[in-house]
Amino acid sequence: MDLAKYRALFLEEATEHLAEMSRALLALEKDSSSRDAIDEVFRMAHSIKGMAGSLGYDGLTELSHALEDRMERVRSAGRVEAGEGGLPPLFRGLEGLEAMVTHVRDTGEPPPAQPGLAAELAAGSDAPPGDPEPDPKKAPTP
Amino acid sequence: MKRVLVADDASFMRQMIRDIIEPEGYEVVGEASDGVEVIDKYLDLRPDLVMMDIVMPKRSGIDAVKGIKKEDPSAVVVMCSALGQETLVMEAIQAGAKDFIVKPFKPDAVVSTLQKVLEKSD
Repeated sequence: MDLAKYRALFLEEATEHLAEMSRALLALEKDSSSRDAIDEVFRMAHSIKGMAGSLGYDGLTELSHALEDRMERVRSAGRVEAGEGGLPPLFRGLEGLEAMVTHVRDTGEPPPAQPGLAAELAAGSDAPPGDPEPDPKKAPTP
Repeated sequence: MKRVLVADDASFMRQMIRDIIEPEGYEVVGEASDGVEVIDKYLDLRPDLVMMDIVMPKRSGIDAVKGIKKEDPSAVVVMCSALGQETLVMEAIQAGAKDFIVKPFKPDAVVSTLQKVLEKSD
């Protein structure tokens, strides 16, 4: 494998993907059930995971995989949960990925893992599929 | 020479597939970056085989398999998946995909999978 060629491709695409992910997370701040934004974050994490795995960037693969899995659960729930357990961990995941990509750009070396961030995303308390949080705007069932 | 259409929203992955299969005698006749474009290009190019990511924008890889198989039931599609996507892979196989390969790609496994599915389809 021509590592330099693929590293350059990775840096270009990962940077674009992270910018798109950031825009999608900002959209989710306004509308926590935006399907387009949820799908976008999921796909960007999936794509970064595939590239990172191909280059042997294990820490980056682990964190993007954790974010992808978290977004899969958000997809099933249909929305990002409100409060500290909802968007803040997703933004921290994005920041972690950005830091790792910057590390690759600056050093050319695989970035160190951030197991705490991956664990935080894995331990999310999103509602399981079929069991969304009650919508306060809806009238309670008698 | 077998003609291959490669579909993945990451140009990184499309380039990697090219670099793996072209030296083995396959011709990449086209690339697509989403699930709509791959159907259009399939109909235009009529490749011998499609290598398709399971997660793509506009239409998912599974939807795109269904779209291609609807137009050409004899189409040969191999899915590109990642660890942890077993459920999606099974859906894709049920939709008509012939086989799958797992990222990160192992070049020998990619080539042997292509050989196997093309031999079966001949």
